[in-house]
Amino acid sequence: MQVQEYKKIMIDKDQIVPVAERMRKKEIWLTMIHGFVNKEGQMEICYDYQVEPVIESYHVVGEMTVPSIGEIYDVAAQWPEREINELFGVTFEGLDVSKRLFLPEDMLETQGKGQIMVTPLSELRRLNREEAEET
Amino acid sequence: MSYILPIGPYHPALEEPVHAKLYTEGEVIKDAEVFVGYNHRGIEKLATERNAIQTLVLVERVCGICSHSHAFTYAMAVEQINQIEVPKRGAYLRVITAELERLHSHFLWLGIACHIIGHDSMFMHIWDERELVMDLLEKLSGNRVNYAMVTIGGARRDVDDDLRREILDACDKLKAPLDRIVEIALTDKTIAMRTKGVGVLTREDAVRLGALGPHARASGVNIDVRKDSPYSCYEDFDFDVPVVDSGDVFARVVVRALECYESIKILRQALENLPEGPINLGTKLPKIKEGMAVTRHEAPRGQLTYMVVGDNSFNNYRVIAHVPSYKNTPTVPHMLRGNTVADAGLIIASIDPCFSCLDR
Repeated sequence: MQVQEYKKIMIDKDQIVPVAERMRKKEIWLTMIHGFVNKEGQMEICYDYQVEPVIESYHVVGEMTVPSIGEIYDVAAQWPEREINELFGVTFEGLDVSKRLFLPEDMLETQGKGQIMVTPLSELRRLNREEAEET
Repeated sequence: MSYILPIGPYHPALEEPVHAKLYTEGEVIKDAEVFVGYNHRGIEKLATERNAIQTLVLVERVCGICSHSHAFTYAMAVEQINQIEVPKRGAYLRVITAELERLHSHFLWLGIACHIIGHDSMFMHIWDERELVMDLLEKLSGNRVNYAMVTIGGARRDVDDDLRREILDACDKLKAPLDRIVEIALTDKTIAMRTKGVGVLTREDAVRLGALGPHARASGVNIDVRKDSPYSCYEDFDFDVPVVDSGDVFARVVVRALECYESIKILRQALENLPEGPINLGTKLPKIKEGMAVTRHEAPRGQLTYMVVGDNSFNNYRVIAHVPSYKNTPTVPHMLRGNTVADAGLIIASIDPCFSCLDR
């Protein structure tokens, strides 16, 4: 049975744009940009490219401000960058975030930003339970 | 006269909630914007609160049409992290379900496309044929949607000889109606007039915007994960990837119709050569080992990608689902420009959008 290969490559934030330009020039698909807070509590942003048959995944760790590659990959990069901005509060320099993508319209003023990071559901459930017991 | 025309999030021509703003000059669309997020359920976050078996149930609920694709891709990611090798028969059963799912999804879209252009007799004819596929899925899995065929380490239900023969017979039965559907799609004047030259996405734009699946293949891009990076047991099957160059709605109809033949081809090979042996490893609830995996599957609408991070506990540390509509929906404004308002509904529908997948 064949397994899809996945290659993890650590880079600095200065290399994000050069890597994207190199990939774009070769007409390589940007599979996805995604992110998560790793166990050390640092933001890990991953840029996955389809260098068939392998996925080359470029990881940037510990940066909350990175350059946008929206100019290079157009909406294929802008949408996931906007999503990461909404869910994790990462700033993508040069990205237009004046409109929300997934979260509510008033996200920027009141709620949503960083919500995924700081409010795990288990914690939310505990708070709700405590609140219910008090009332 | 120029005006802004809003479509959706609730509109008769849209099956799911999405909002499009059309900036028009008379009847012609000069520019457009698409807004999503009306169905955001935080499924990725919910997955971090669940173990691998619970997550299979959860990710199947991302989408009602390609539910198997989500469970299939997620399971592959966990198996990759835990270095689990799925038994061959289990892998074949997963592929059989995936191809039946592609057939029903393509029939569904072809029917809806005909309905939108006002060819309702064709819509009913196609959906009638789709019922045959739905019945097979029900017999195979016990369900018409959310098949629950996948478990970590294989498939959950086996195919006996009677059902195997029944699906093979159905492959023969589908041939004639599919020929008829393709013939009508290729020759009918109404379909041609409503779809040829409408909503064009050039190859260059498809590459730049990262279009996926049949949508990209209708713009002349030869991209299919089953061929580019074979997984599960797809390397065992001989099939073609239909590619059409014109990039219009008509090309999308043709590509999806031709893909139905290829799915039948794969189904036939899988059923005729179904290996003997166990369908799964009998894996109990697994701990997801420390590590990360990215897996891809060619879902009916295009490449579906899952990224799973494990931390040696039962629950997922992080799950990310990147669906084909995520890449295809942003291409819609490019396709709308220069077309008339009357074609907007059809152009939006032509990418076979799934907003419940996109929003997650």
